[in-house]
Formats: sequence, C-alpha cells, structure tokens
Amino acid sequence: MKILCCLDGTNAEPVGRAARMFAGPQPLIIGLLTVMDVGPRRDIDRTRERFWRPPMHRQPVIQEMLGAEKEAAGDILQAGLERLPEAESLLRQGHPELEIVNAAAEWKADVILICSRAEYGAPPNIGPRSVGHVARFVLDHAPCPVLLVRPPAGEQFPIKG
Amino acid sequence: MFLIFPLSELWRTLFTSIIGVLTLVGIMVRPFRWNEAQIAMGGAAVLLLLGLIRPGDAALTLLRDWNTFLFFLGMMALSALSETAGLFDWLAVQAARMAGASAARLFLHVFLLGMLITMIFSNDATALILTPVVYVLVTRLRLPVLPYLFACTFIADTASFLLPISNPINIIVMSRFPLALPTFLRLLLLPSLVVIAINLGVFFLLYRRQLKGSFNIKHMPTLSQAVKHGPYFRYTLWVLAGVAPSYVLASAFQFPLSMVAMAGAVLLFAGALCWRRTTLVDTCKGISWSIFGFIAGMFVVVRAIEDTGLTVKLGNLLLHLSGGTSFGAVLAGTVGSALGTNLINNVPMAVVMNSALVSVQHAAPAIRNGFVAATIFGCDLGPNITTVGSLATIIWLLILRQRDVDVSGLDYFKVGVVVTPLMLLAGACTIWLCL
Repeated sequence: MKILCCLDGTNAEPVGRAARMFAGPQPLIIGLLTVMDVGPRRDIDRTRERFWRPPMHRQPVIQEMLGAEKEAAGDILQAGLERLPEAESLLRQGHPELEIVNAAAEWKADVILICSRAEYGAPPNIGPRSVGHVARFVLDHAPCPVLLVRPPAGEQFPIKG
Repeated sequence: MFLIFPLSELWRTLFTSIIGVLTLVGIMVRPFRWNEAQIAMGGAAVLLLLGLIRPGDAALTLLRDWNTFLFFLGMMALSALSETAGLFDWLAVQAARMAGASAARLFLHVFLLGMLITMIFSNDATALILTPVVYVLVTRLRLPVLPYLFACTFIADTASFLLPISNPINIIVMSRFPLALPTFLRLLLLPSLVVIAINLGVFFLLYRRQLKGSFNIKHMPTLSQAVKHGPYFRYTLWVLAGVAPSYVLASAFQFPLSMVAMAGAVLLFAGALCWRRTTLVDTCKGISWSIFGFIAGMFVVVRAIEDTGLTVKLGNLLLHLSGGTSFGAVLAGTVGSALGTNLINNVPMAVVMNSALVSVQHAAPAIRNGFVAATIFGCDLGPNITTVGSLATIIWLLILRQRDVDVSGLDYFKVGVVVTPLMLLAGACTIWLCL
C-alpha cells in the first residue's frame, strides 16, 4: 500500500501518527511530499510589474529566495523522516494543491494523508472554513482516497445547536 | 499633419479625446501584453504626428516636470545602491532580533520597518526591495510567508503620504500644487497614522491564527551575514543619515527634492565604485527606465487633452460633486482618485487629476487644499484595493480561479477590498478634520 503524506512544516507529528495507523500485514510504502509554493514569488512578480520592473528571475535575490525555500523544504522533509525513517522523500515546486494531486497520480498513491490546514500554534479550529484551500482542492480532485487529519479538538464538544 | 490641414476646434477635441481615451484604455487592458510605457509613448507620438499637440508645447511640458523625472531617477538609484550595501537585509535581521522569537512581534516590526523605509526611500523600495528580503527571512524562520508579504505590500502604499518623498506621486501632484511642509504634515500626517493603525489592526485580526507561534532564533542570519561589505555599509549609513534630514529641510524650504535624491545617489554611487561594490551597468539595471517613457508619454497625452478643455470639465464635475464644501471636496477627490488608480494605475491618474484640479485653483483654500490632499491620499492609498496590479490583472486572476486553482494574488484583492475602503473613508474624514 502506498501512502502519500503531505507535509506543510507544521504537521510532521500528526501525519506521522496517522501513517502508523496503516501498519498491518501488507507492506507499506510511505512517501513524504512537500511543495515549494511558487505563489508568493508570482505575487512579488506582479507587484514588480506594477512598479515597471522586470520579473524576479532576472534579479540576484532570486537565488537567495530559492536557497531559503530549499533549506526550509529540506527541514520539513527531515522532520517527517525523523518520524517515518523508512519513507521516501518527494520535493516538488508549484502550486501545492496541484502538485499534491499530480504527485499522487504519478506516484500511484493508494491514499493521501493531508492535514486540514497548517497550524501555527493557535487552538484547533472546527466549523466552517476549518479546511484550508489546499486540503479542499485535494479532497475535490484527488485520484485516490484521502485521509483528512484533523487536529484533536475534543474540548470544543459537544457542539451546541 | 492637422497643423498643415487646419481642423475646427470640435474635430481637434474629438481626435485628441479619442487618442487620449485609447491610450488610457490601452494602459488599463494592455493588449498583447504591451508595456504601459510603449502605449503611453505611442499615444504621445500619434498626437505629435497628427499635430494635435505642438512639439514645442510637448517639450515645455516635459521640461517643466524635470523635478519629477530626476526624483524618480535619484530615488531608484538610492534604493538600489542601499540594497547593494545590504542595508535592507540588515534592517530586516534587526527587526527579527528585536522580535524576541515572537511571530506576532516580528509582524509588527515588519510593518514598522516598511513604514520607515517608505518614509525615507519611498514606497518603491518597500514593495520591491524589502518584500523579497522579508520573504527570505520568514522562509528561513519557518514562519507562514503570506501575512508578512501582505504587510510589506500594503504598508508600501499605506505609509506613502507620511512625507512628500514617501511616494513619487506626491512629487507629481505637488509640482503643480505646491504644499509647504507644515501644510502637508497638517493635512496628511494624522490621516496617515490613522490608516496605518487601521491597516495594522485589521491585519492582526485577519492573521491572528498564523501569528500565534514563535520562531527558532537558530535559523536567523547574523547581522554580519546581512552586511555585504562593512566599510561601504557604514558609508551608506552616513550618507543616508545626511539624506533623510536634507529631505525634510528641502521640503520645508521648497527646494527641489530631486536634488537631494540625486546628490545622495551620486555619493552612494561614488562610494560603491570606490569599494568596487557596483558598476555603472549594475546600477543602471536597478533602475526602471521604462517608467520615464511612461511618465513622459502620459504628460504629453494629458497636456493635449488639457488643451481641449476636457480635464477642466472633469475638474468642474468634481467641484460640482463636492457641493462646494470642504468635506465634499475631500470625498470627491479621494473616491475619484482611488477609483482611477485602480483602472489606469496611479501615475496616469495623478497626472489626470493634476490637470483637472486647475479648475479648483481659485476655489476657497479649504476646498482647494481638500482636493489636493485627497488626490495625494487617493492616488497613494487607492492601489491597495488591487495591490497586485490593475483591475485587468484581477480579472485575469479571477479567470485562473475559475479553473479551481487557488491564486494567492486574489487573496491580496480580497484583503484589499475589505481593508482599503475602510482606510479611505477613515483617512478622508481625518483629512477633512485637519483642513
């Protein structure tokens, strides 16, 4: 069984725990995927266009930006490998939502593990808009079953009508 | 051509208006991804070729605005040469060091740093140089990137009217409607602080979840890593320490600000050459040359339209909409400028408004100052609605969104649409109270 784990820099622990739940008699092949998002760089390019400047790729600072992104992606994958040492690392670049579903199709994943959204220390959010745009797109477009890993939010229950 | 075959005033007005409108629409929709400078210069060339503006008048218009051209040049060179020294990287690392590992405090510091850079170097430096520097920093600190990028992009416009040099638009408007520094500060300092406070408050509310965390200082670059060359860096600090108060003094004594910017740029360039930190070619690469063509084209096109009396009619319309009150003047000026900047970009809008406001020159001082301050305010802050560009860019992003791809550029628009009208209204009311 091939499990594709989507890492966003904040979710190595819950994704690792969820992947372990699949342990059983059948062999597990785990892929750790992280995507270097090109969106912010494109936004910077649009701002440059507004100020009549050429795109970033002609500027020396782009090397620093790519270097920082690769360094951060390496750390994200390393955090995943610490929890799932037998996993294979996959690094892609593009729109995260597109890259995840395309990687799942190319890698022939049987299941995708993804968190509802990146969590930066705020208490877990339940209710409308608690699923971020990347997870929402993956749920809508995935070529295989998706396991949505939500943060534990037991203390927010029961939900009152 | 029409100079040889004279036309009646009606036909001249009609042809000039058509060319003027086509130029503005061209800038708005940019057919075939043409550069705005090509469109503006094309419009000006057609007007000259058809004899709808005399070459002498066009040349005089451009010469009259030498301060604007030189200010753009000096400002861009000053920013590029300061970047070469590593000044912006150093300031960003300082901001992170002082944040004490708190994501929220770093966010506040990025806002304050953007405000400071905009105040001294103009919005151009914040949007173009500080943004990638902050991007690298927050990526290294493993923090969510978008809130910090939003902070840089928005504060570049929000802090644009703290001082006359904070945005070249201010220089364009003030070249025709000079405001003494005390008047500028009286009219626009408090509104500026009000809109900055609103921007900061709304952003903290919007990004409260992403800003909860902290960062590991081990990922932070050291100050010495940020500085690219010690002696040139220190020299840059000394030059800027002289340039900043000189700007204020020049504004106070109505001395051309372009002279200060150019003097600072020449001093930095000499230092950079001396320490072999740049070459003439590298410095020239840091300057957007197309902007000069764009501004020159727009000045000529608007001058031709002005000769037909159309911009005066626009001015009269604004005066009529104001109802002859200072509050109406501020509101009409703000709304008109802000809407126009999102359609045709803020530089052409400032040039159009400059021409239109000739009609209010003889109005009561409160109404005249209300219009001038509102024009600066609307043209500076208005672009925050469609931060990533013009309305045409937004439409293009909406088309992409229909393919289900999440386009972060649209996030800017969503935030801009929520926060900017609020800032425009609060700022306009404050300007009115300051009149």
